[in-house]
Formats: sequence, C-alpha cells, structure tokens
Amino acid sequence: MDDQGCPRCKTTKYRNPSLKLMVNVCGHTLCENCCDTPLRKSNFRVQLFEDPTVDKEVEIRKKVLKIYNKRDFDFSSLREYNDYLEQVEDIVYNLTNNLDVENTKLKMEQYQREHRDLIQKNKATLTREQEELEELLLLEQQGNEQRRLDVLQDEQRQLQAKRKNKQALLDELEQSQLPATILLAQHKVRAAQLETQIEQQKQTVKPTNLFSTGIHMRQTVSLVAVPKVEDVLFHYKPLHVETYGPPVPELEQLSRVGYLNHVRAAMPQDTAGGYTSALACHRAIQDAFSGLFPLKG
Amino acid sequence: MFHNSSQRKYWIFKSEDEVAHMRRKANQKFRNKIQESGKSAVSDSMFLERHEEDVLFRHYERRLLDFCNAFKPAMPKSVVGTALMYFRRFYLNNSVMEHHPRTIMLTCAYLSCKVDEFNVSSTQFGGNLLHETPAGQERVLEQILEYELLLIQQLNFHLVVHNPYRPMEGLLIDLKTRYPTLENPESLRKSADDFLTQAAMTDAGLLFPPSQIALAAILNSALRASLSMESYLTECLGLKEDKDSISKMYDSMRRMKTLLKKYELPKADEVNIYKPRLERIHAQFASSSNKRKRGYEDDSHVAKEPRLVEEEWTDEDLM
Repeated sequence: MDDQGCPRCKTTKYRNPSLKLMVNVCGHTLCENCCDTPLRKSNFRVQLFEDPTVDKEVEIRKKVLKIYNKRDFDFSSLREYNDYLEQVEDIVYNLTNNLDVENTKLKMEQYQREHRDLIQKNKATLTREQEELEELLLLEQQGNEQRRLDVLQDEQRQLQAKRKNKQALLDELEQSQLPATILLAQHKVRAAQLETQIEQQKQTVKPTNLFSTGIHMRQTVSLVAVPKVEDVLFHYKPLHVETYGPPVPELEQLSRVGYLNHVRAAMPQDTAGGYTSALACHRAIQDAFSGLFPLKG
Repeated sequence: MFHNSSQRKYWIFKSEDEVAHMRRKANQKFRNKIQESGKSAVSDSMFLERHEEDVLFRHYERRLLDFCNAFKPAMPKSVVGTALMYFRRFYLNNSVMEHHPRTIMLTCAYLSCKVDEFNVSSTQFGGNLLHETPAGQERVLEQILEYELLLIQQLNFHLVVHNPYRPMEGLLIDLKTRYPTLENPESLRKSADDFLTQAAMTDAGLLFPPSQIALAAILNSALRASLSMESYLTECLGLKEDKDSISKMYDSMRRMKTLLKKYELPKADEVNIYKPRLERIHAQFASSSNKRKRGYEDDSHVAKEPRLVEEEWTDEDLM
C-alpha cells in the first residue's frame, strides 16, 4: 500500500499514515486533500481494491444490477438467461471503459421504462428473501445463546451443590455427636455421589427431534437407489513406445552382454552420487537406436 | 528421446525440395511485406535472390562455427551442434534480409549454451567477442537479449535438439560389443567425426534422424578404410528379413553423401558483393522494429526506451 499515493499532491501512505484514498466515479484515486472542482465530494467512496478501475466497475455494476435484476427462474430456457446475462455484462463493460456511453445509458433507461413493474416486483422479492434470511440467522443466534446459557446454569448448579455439601459437612462437624472420621467418610460418599450425578448428566443426550441438518427425526427421506453402471472390466496393457529402431537391451542386461567393457568405468566419486557406467552406456545405445529405421511406406 | 521429440514431429522434412520451398516462401514473404508497406522506391533488384541468400547464410554459418570453436571455455560438441541447428531452423522460415544473421548467430550460440546447460554467464559470453571494447561487448549483449525471444518464437519453442554425436558413440559401443568382425572400431572415429561436422553444415539435420546420420558417418568411414560392414546391418540390427528397410537406409545414406558433396565453402568475392547489399536492405527497411523489443509483437504495454541508442556495429567488430 506504500506505493499508492495521491496523484495530485503526491502524499503517500508512507508520509501521512492517516491518508485515506478515495475513488471517484471516473475511477481515479485522489486523496481527501485535493479533489478537483468538477468532481463532487459526495461521489467519492473509500477505495476497497488496489486497482481503482476495479472499484469503478464495482460501483457501476451495483447501479446496473439495481435495474437489471431478473432472476434465473424468470426465464424459460437456460439460453435466454445466458443471453440476458451477456447483455448485462456488455453494458457494464461499456460503461467501465467509456465506450458508447450515450447509447448504453439510453438502453438502460429504455429497459427501465419497459420493465418497471417487473423491477419493482423483483426488488420486493429480494427484500423478502433477505428478511427471511435474517430471521433464520436470528433464530440460529438465539438458539446458540440459549444453549450457552443452559450450560452456564448447569455449571453454576454443580458448583452450588458442591458448596452446599461442604457447608453441610462443616455444620455436621459442629453439631452432630458422631466422631469426625465417620462424618468425613459420609461426606466423601456424598461427594462421590455428586460426581457421578454430574457425569451422568453430561452423558445423557438431550432429547431432540431434529438432526443437525434440519431434518426431523421421524421423517423418511427417500433415497433413490444409485443406478448400476455396466462397464467393461479394465485390462492392463503395458505401455508400448515406438522407437522406430532396433530393440534396446535392458539396463540390467548391459554388463552381461558385454557392453560395459567398452564404456569408461565409473570412478568412486561418480558412484557416490548414484552414477553407474551402465546409465551412460544405456543412454548412448538408446540414442543410437532411436529412429534408426526408415519409416514404412 | 528422439522418437517422441518435437524434432521428429515438426523439424524433419521429407525432401530437399520441401526445405528449398520453405526458404523460397520466406524470401517471398519478406518481399511482399516490404511491397505492401509501400515504402517509396523499392525496386525488385534491391532484394536478394535465393542463391545469394544462400551464400550469405553459409558464410555466417561458417563464422558461427569458428566463433564456437574459438569459445573459451571450450564448448562441447552438442552445444555447437544445437547452435547450428537453431541457426538453420530460424532461416528456414525467415529471410536473412529481415533479421541480420550476425546478431541471430550470436543469439543462437547464447541460447544454445543455456538450453544445453553449458553454464556461461553473459559477461563471459561477451568476453568472447574478441574485437570489441567492453562497451561494445555490452552493446552486442543487449542486442542478443533483444533477439532472444524472437529466436525462441521462430523456433516454435522447440528448443531440444538431438545431435548425432551421442548416437555415434552408442553405435561405436555397439560395434565393439556385438560385431567382432570389425577389429578396431576406434579407427573409424576420427573420420566419422569429420563426417558429422561436415553434415552439420548441410541440411542433413533437417532431413534425417540423428541416429541415421551417425550410422551414415560410420559406414562412410568404414568404406573409406575399405572395411566391410554389410553384415552389421543384417545381423546385429536384425534387418535380415527386411530388404525394404535396408535398401531405404542405403538410399538415405547416399542422399546424405550427396548433400555433403554438394556443400561448397562460400566464395569470398561473392560474399563481398552480397554483403553490402544486405547491409543496405537492413539500413533501409529495418526501421520500425528498432525501438521495441523483438518478439513482443502484440504487447499492449508501453515499450521501454532503449538504454543505449542502437548503433550499427559491423562484422569486423565480431571477429
């Protein structure tokens, strides 16, 4: 971000850390200190993306989509929907790159006039859907809160039970006639009982009737059987590479046949790295035989 | 390996005619380009004819070979072979009138060092340009770097070249192992080597697989030493039944020998006539591509200002 600065007054983030770069409608960045007179200050927005052209396109897209807000179920075929989307993209592209701005604006206004009702309806559906989503989110949040509170309460109760137990012990030690050891033993038994109770509570699953995915417990979900696909069994065939030449002996056979007698032997320094003379010999033979035969026909 | 290489798929041609046709096309393409751009007063006689281009091509090819042989540290044979092949392939599809051979030849050597993993820094490479001042060497290096991408593009990015040197070694090893009839295959090595060096200056690399060239070299030197190697082909290479293949192979070898015989060293007087004409063509027509890096044809970014003004350096600066 250091290299981004206002093109006008040249202050950068480096020199003035509290500098905020704003994007204007035309897509150029200017800092708050020096905006030019023809550009209105209200049209400036804080720059979100590094490339100001991207920001400009985002703004234009928002405006266009407010008008062109048809959804995929508004169309009878996929092809029509895609054509519509392409139309929208063309408009956004034209406006971003300042091509044919007049015509595009005219087109937009015409579309707006023709489909005024549809636009309104879609706006309404959009808001409705958003509200529903918000409600769902709210419900979920509330559920989470509730669960958290429950857990807290349980813990409190357990703590209280323990304290009561201790207090009871102290009282008994004060008042009762029984000797201290017996009282202690009784206390220990009671503490152990409490512990097991707590453990049991943790183990019991709270009875619900909903799976985590939202399906009811008793609901039968139809599982369509996966159709069996008849396919030919796979047979392994080893790879055959056409070398257009005589067959090359295998690497391991080279020394047996006697090739290695005619190659420079590997020195200890070479074998340390994993080199053997068979490797060089094999490569030379491969190269010698590759493409040796003329092509047929 | 050669059998699944781009060289076999795209850079081996069927006949000498096809190769000659491609060169004619390149020449014609340049002529058309200049005619269409409508530069004033262009007469057809200004352009170089095919045989004139050939003489210049061979001249610069010789200089490339000499440059590589005089290179310090010593350049391995495969690097030299690759550089010559790049040079040859480049001028298969381009005319010497369009890109001057002296820069292209150095670029070929430079690229070949990189591709063949013969590690030479650009300063070391520049140091081999003996007749230049250090500043001149830098200038040349800049030009090389400018042309590099163009060269790679014109090679269609097929940079791996299979040379006949390793196949020759392999055949010698095979002869020693499986063909005791021939007593001392090592004696064939020297003359086979010469054959291969000569073959690199012909179109053999564009017409035949490297293993066939190596085999031709060995058979040829055996013939010279009056040693018979007939049974090698039939027995060891398993071609006893395949008379067809044997005759085809002998045919290819005959073609290769013809190619080698046809090669003639470029004559100095001819070169001295054609070179000034080449310089004139370049001075007149090579203007538009000067300011931009070669090969970045459709780059939409603003071309950088060249650091140094491109001065015309002459051949004498080279060697």
